[in-house]
Amino acid sequence: MDIDDILREVDPTFDSIPVETRDLQALTRAWIAERSAPELLDWPADGLFERINDRIKKQIEKVEEMTGDMDPKTNFALIVIQTELERFKFLVRSYLRARVAKIDKHTLHYLSTADLRLRLSSTELAYATRHQALLHHHYLSSFLSSFPASLQNLNDTSGNISMIDTPDVDTAVFIRLLRDVVVRGKGTDVDGAAAGQHGDIFILRWSDAKGLVESGSAELV
Amino acid sequence: MSYYDLDVILTDSEKVPCKFELEVPDLGYLDNNPSQPLKAGTSVNLPLWLAELLALTHQSSTPFLTLSLPPALGDNVLNALKADPRAVPLRDQSQNFYGLGARMLDLFEEPELGVVLRRSFVVRAGEVALHGRKAGATGDAGSAEDFMRGLEEWEKKLYRQAHEGAKGHKEWMDGVKK
Amino acid sequence: MYGDLGNKLVQYAKRTQSLGFLPPYQTETVRGVTREVRDLDKDIAQRLEPFGGSFNPQADQATACTLLVNHLSIRRNKRCLLAYHKSRTDKLEELAWKGFDVVDLAGQQVASGNAGSNLGSADGGSSSLSPQEEDYIRQYSDLLAAYKGQWTDIDLTGSLEPPRDLFIDVRALKDAGEIQTEYGAITLTKNSQFYVRQGDVERLIAQGYLQKLG
Repeated sequence: MDIDDILREVDPTFDSIPVETRDLQALTRAWIAERSAPELLDWPADGLFERINDRIKKQIEKVEEMTGDMDPKTNFALIVIQTELERFKFLVRSYLRARVAKIDKHTLHYLSTADLRLRLSSTELAYATRHQALLHHHYLSSFLSSFPASLQNLNDTSGNISMIDTPDVDTAVFIRLLRDVVVRGKGTDVDGAAAGQHGDIFILRWSDAKGLVESGSAELV
Repeated sequence: MSYYDLDVILTDSEKVPCKFELEVPDLGYLDNNPSQPLKAGTSVNLPLWLAELLALTHQSSTPFLTLSLPPALGDNVLNALKADPRAVPLRDQSQNFYGLGARMLDLFEEPELGVVLRRSFVVRAGEVALHGRKAGATGDAGSAEDFMRGLEEWEKKLYRQAHEGAKGHKEWMDGVKK
Repeated sequence: MYGDLGNKLVQYAKRTQSLGFLPPYQTETVRGVTREVRDLDKDIAQRLEPFGGSFNPQADQATACTLLVNHLSIRRNKRCLLAYHKSRTDKLEELAWKGFDVVDLAGQQVASGNAGSNLGSADGGSSSLSPQEEDYIRQYSDLLAAYKGQWTDIDLTGSLEPPRDLFIDVRALKDAGEIQTEYGAITLTKNSQFYVRQGDVERLIAQGYLQKLG
């Protein structure tokens, strides 16, 4: 008897793993990409996180059912399932936290256009909007209401510096090519290009990498 | 990109020499003479946040004032940097030396200044990275201390990153061995 | 000179950036900067009054210059005040995400010996936070709770270290009270050792109640 057999005995849905594996891969890729990119990436539109959240809930229920069962085989399976569960929870948690950190850093920027707002999940949008409102209210009650009315805003873009901080799109990122492509980079003195092959790893500015990543020619690592 | 950045805000408080092009009766306080008018041709040191926009704003052909490079970016400093970038304690010139230099490059066409700053940054950054990796284990402790004490803010950030990076790498490697 | 007090605030914020706690709110300096702003605004209004709404900068460059200096000074003070307050709310939010309690964060009296209590001033007396900051962190904590509630099973404020061991050995560094695990309640008295699920005790390790062994 090996581990797979034990798990299959205990969990009859074991053979439907392939779908879950695909989602785990998508989750892992999304997690790596989000942690590497300096700006907020799109929220997966295909319901990936809703599915994963659902699956986590079900796994937790299963664990609760299995706990207290004194059969040593179940106990071992329980530990394996819980370990797997902790890994999933960690990935989702780390992913969501990476996104919240970016949203908090440049809230007004992400709320400033319809296109940018689309990148946030509805929960994130609600959080960002409310967070910004709380901050503005805090500033007003601490000092800002003593200012002339025209200066009580937080999104003034006149003057020589905009109040809306934006992410630094020239941050360096690592990418792996998924196809043979020419990689172009803008430089300080002169621009450059290099013929890249599938599997090559490049370090370059996000502003140069973005197109390749979005078209599927490269992935963030 | 950085309205709330504390270092950027402090860089803006750096003073630069300014020459007023017109007489302004009520700005005598800028020259520590509140009861006197500020006469045309007066030189005063004003913070960048004030100086820059006064230099750029004008209703007629002359701006309110013209500004020039601060002493921190003067010829003697630049010559010292050209000789050996690592021997110049930049912090003594300005805590925000490169930030200040960058602002000046925005305002003036000074290609030579740009070249000197860039080269100095790169050479000194190499030295900073070396210290970051070997934190605590340098051979020539005396000069290393002097160099470290002379770091300005951008370099201090770099040092922290190099140090954290080296530390994190070591911890990760130790974890892998286990 | 105008803007000097604002600079002080920003320097203060910078010096305290690396601290693990929030130093006392600089009420007097904030008031000073706000007073400056009101004075500058009044000065602008007084200068513009004689022109009755149709000031021509070309015709009176000296006044235009003075008005601009006042305006730039007000803007500078706005930036300094915002940066100072934001550096503090950033820190409060960071602590909230780390799981520190709202009560601790609002700087109220806490018994000594509690791990999360060094957020108030050293003597444990008055709060380091302004009343507005106390309001803010209470409201932010509610927002955080609501956001976490969308992902209850994930525990959003849990550890950001990848899980290695499901179960770990811990020793209680001080009395940590009772914790609930799926195997029942455990009472953590000082120096006792337990083999527990990492997920159940992460928070207590982060706050210094427990030490992970091995």
